[in-house]
Amino acid sequence: MKKVLIVDDAAFMRLTIKELLGKIDSIEFEEAKNGIEAVSKYIETKPDVVTMDITMPDMTGLEALKLIRKADPQAKVVMVSAMGQESMVKEAVLNGARTFIVKPFKEEHVIGTIKKLLEI
Amino acid sequence: MSDQFTNEPMLDMYIFETSQLIEQLEQSILSSEKESCFTPAAINEIFRIMHTIKGSSAIMMFHNISTLAHTMEDMFYFLREEKPQKVDCSSLSDFVLDGVDFIKVEVEKIKNGDEPDGDATILIENLNLFLSNLKKENEIADSGKKEKNIPKKPQQYYISQEKVPVTEYKYRFRARIYFEEGCEMENIRAYTILHNIKDYTEEFYTIPEDVIDADDSAEIIRQDGFSVYFKTNHTYEQMNEFFQQTIFLKSLELVSLETEEEYGEYKAKKRDTIRDSLVKEISSGYVSVSGKETDKVSHSSAVQNIISVSVAKLDKLMDIVGEMVIAEAMVTQNPDLQGLVLDNFQKAAGQLNKITSELQDTVMSIRMVPLSPTFQKMHRIVRDMCKQLNKEVDLKIIGEETEVDKNIIEHISDPLMHLVRNALDHGIEPSEERRQAGKDKTGTVILEAKNSGSDVLIIVQDDGKGLDREKILKKARENNLLYKKEEDMAEQEIFNMILAPGFSTKESVSEFSGRGVGMDVVNRNIETIGGTLSVNSISGKGTTITLAIPLTLAIIDGMNIKVGRSSYTIPTISIKESLRPDEKDIIIDPEGNEMLMIRGQCFPILRLHESYKVETAVTQFKEGIMIVVEQDGRTICIFADELLGQQQVVVKSLPVYIQKMRKIKGLAGCTLLGDGSISLILDVAGLVNF
Repeated sequence: MKKVLIVDDAAFMRLTIKELLGKIDSIEFEEAKNGIEAVSKYIETKPDVVTMDITMPDMTGLEALKLIRKADPQAKVVMVSAMGQESMVKEAVLNGARTFIVKPFKEEHVIGTIKKLLEI
Repeated sequence: MSDQFTNEPMLDMYIFETSQLIEQLEQSILSSEKESCFTPAAINEIFRIMHTIKGSSAIMMFHNISTLAHTMEDMFYFLREEKPQKVDCSSLSDFVLDGVDFIKVEVEKIKNGDEPDGDATILIENLNLFLSNLKKENEIADSGKKEKNIPKKPQQYYISQEKVPVTEYKYRFRARIYFEEGCEMENIRAYTILHNIKDYTEEFYTIPEDVIDADDSAEIIRQDGFSVYFKTNHTYEQMNEFFQQTIFLKSLELVSLETEEEYGEYKAKKRDTIRDSLVKEISSGYVSVSGKETDKVSHSSAVQNIISVSVAKLDKLMDIVGEMVIAEAMVTQNPDLQGLVLDNFQKAAGQLNKITSELQDTVMSIRMVPLSPTFQKMHRIVRDMCKQLNKEVDLKIIGEETEVDKNIIEHISDPLMHLVRNALDHGIEPSEERRQAGKDKTGTVILEAKNSGSDVLIIVQDDGKGLDREKILKKARENNLLYKKEEDMAEQEIFNMILAPGFSTKESVSEFSGRGVGMDVVNRNIETIGGTLSVNSISGKGTTITLAIPLTLAIIDGMNIKVGRSSYTIPTISIKESLRPDEKDIIIDPEGNEMLMIRGQCFPILRLHESYKVETAVTQFKEGIMIVVEQDGRTICIFADELLGQQQVVVKSLPVYIQKMRKIKGLAGCTLLGDGSISLILDVAGLVNF
C-alpha cells in the first residue's frame, strides 16, 4: 500500500486529485489543507509522495516544502502549480521538489507522475 | 464540461466551494472598502481566492469563469507584488464586485444544470484597462526602484565566473531531451534537470542557453528539445539512469562525445550562462518568499469539524422523527393497555418518551442555522445604495449568531432586503439635511436579531426622519384606506396603514425601493411563515420595524377541530376567537350567502362540511362552533362541529399523488395526531378567498 499526501486548500482540488489517483491500485490518501497541516501530517504519516499546492493560506506550499525536506531529505514532493507560477515552481525545484504538475491537469500526466515517483 | 472529470460529487463540491469562496471574497472586498483601501492581507486573500477559482473552473472546463478569475488574479498579483501607491480603490472594488456578481450568476446556472454561457469579455476588458492604467500611473513612482535592481545581475556574473572550478573530467556527453506534449512549463522542467545534474558535474552548457529568463525558451524546448552538453566522471549507464528518472520524459538521446571539439560545438559564443545564473539563484533562493505572508488573518480553524448535509436528508430525518413521536404515543397510550397494571411497562415507556422528545429537540436544532450570512448580505446592499444615492450610512449588525430554521431563512431574506432598502432610501436623509437637523452626517441602520420565547425578533432600525403621520393620513384618504375616523386612530394604527395593500407614500420611484413592491408584500411574506410585523416611528428620530418570526416552520401551534369524522388543524396564530353564535346574529343576504354579525361587523361564514363535502350531523349553527380567523386583513368565520384542543403539530406536506390529482383549495398540509389519525392543516389565506 502506497500513501499519497494531498495538500491543497481547495477541497475541490483535493477531490480532483483523489479521483484521478484513485485509478492507481493500492494507494491510500492523506489530506492537508494548508502548509502547517501538511508538515505535521507528513511527519505523522510518512507518505511516499506528497502533492503540494503552492498558493495556500497560513503557510504556502513552498515553505511547507522546505520544512518537509528538512524533516526528511528524501521526501518526494510534487508541486501542483498553475500557468503563470513559473518563478514559484523554480523556487520549489531549488528547494528539492521532485517535479511539478500544471493545472488544469491531464489525467495521464498526473497518474504518470505519481506512478513514476512511487516506482510502480 | 471535461469528460474525465464529469461526476456528481465533484460538481457539487465545485459549486459548494466556489460559492463559499465568492461569499468570502465579497466580504473581504466590502470590509476593505470600509477601511478605505485594501490591506496587504486582503490583497493576498483575494489573490488566493481568485487563484483557486481559476484552477477549479479550468478543470471543470468553465472557461468564462476561469478566464475572468485569471484576470482578477493578475490584477491582485500586480497589487501584491508592486504595491502601487495610486490605486482608485472604489472603482477597483466596483470592478471586482462586478466580477463576483458574474461568477455568482454563472455558478447559479451550473447549479441549475445549465451551461455557464455568460460573456465576461467586457468585464475582462475593463479589468485589463484598469490594470494597464494602474501600471502606467505607477511607473513614474516605481522607475527609481527598478533601476536599483538592475545592476545586481552583472555583479553576480562576475563573481561566479571567477569562481569556476577547474576540474578534469573523464567523459563528455550530449543529452537531448523531449518532454511529453502538454506537460507545460518545459523551461522549468529543463531547469529541474540542470538543478539535479549538479550532483554529477559542474561543467555543462545547454541549448537553449537561457532556460529561465528567455520568454520563448519553453516554446523552443517544446519544438527542438532540450540539449545539455556536459563533462563528468560518471559512466554512460549512470548518466542514462539519471536522465531516465526525469518525469514527463518523452524521449532521451544520450551520446558520448569523443573530442573536446565535439563538446564545444555550440559553446563558442557564450560560456556557462545558465550555470552562473543557477549559482546566483541558489545563493539567493533560500531567503525570499517567506516573510511576505506573515501578516494574514487565520480563520481556517473555525471550519473544522463541520460537515455539510443536504437539506433533503434533514427534512427526511425530521419527518421520521415526527412519525416516531406519534408511533411512541400510539404504543404507550394504546387502548388495549387500558385498565391494566403495568408497572415495568410504564417505567420503560417513560424512558422511551424522554429519549424521543430529546431526539426531536436535537433534530430541530440541527436544522437551525445562524442568520449571519443573511445579515452579511445587507452590507453589499448598503454599500451599493450609498454610492447610488450619495448618502453615508453605517450598517450595524447585532446578534447575527441567532439561529432560525433553514426554511425560515429562505423566506425572510427578501423582505429583510426590502426593509433595509426602505430604511436607506426613505428613512435616512441626505448628509446635508442631517447636518441641518443637528444629526451626525453618517446615518445608522441597525439590524438586530434576538430570541424571544418561541419567536425570533428581527429589528430593522434607522435614525432617519421617521414616518410622516400627515402624509400617511393624506395618502390613506386618497386611497380610501381609512377604516375609522382619523381622530380615533392611535399613532400605532396610522403607522400600520403603510402595511395595507396599495399603499406607498413615495411620490417618485427610485431604483431601489418602490419597484411596485410595497410594505404590504413584505408584510404578506412575513405572515406566510407565521410571523408578524410591527412599525414604530418617532418623527425626526427614526423608524423601527420589528419582525417576529417563529423559530421553525416544521412545527406550528395548531387548534384541532372536528367536522363529522374528519379532523382539521387551524394555525393558532390566525385565530381571533371562537364562539357559539346566537340565531339572531346570522344574516342571509339576497344571494343566499350566510354572514355572522359580531359587534356590529359582518363576516362571511364558511361551512367546512359543505366546502369539503364531509357528512356530519351538525349543520345547525347553535350545535356547532364558529372559529373567527383573519389573514391579510380579511376575516371569515369557519363553522365546525367542535374544538378538539390545541397542540403543537409537525407540518407535513400533502402526499405528491394527492397534489398531482387535483389542487385542493385551502389546505396547507397535513399532520398526524396523537392517536395516529390524520388531520388536514387549513391554509387560512386560501380559505378567505374560498
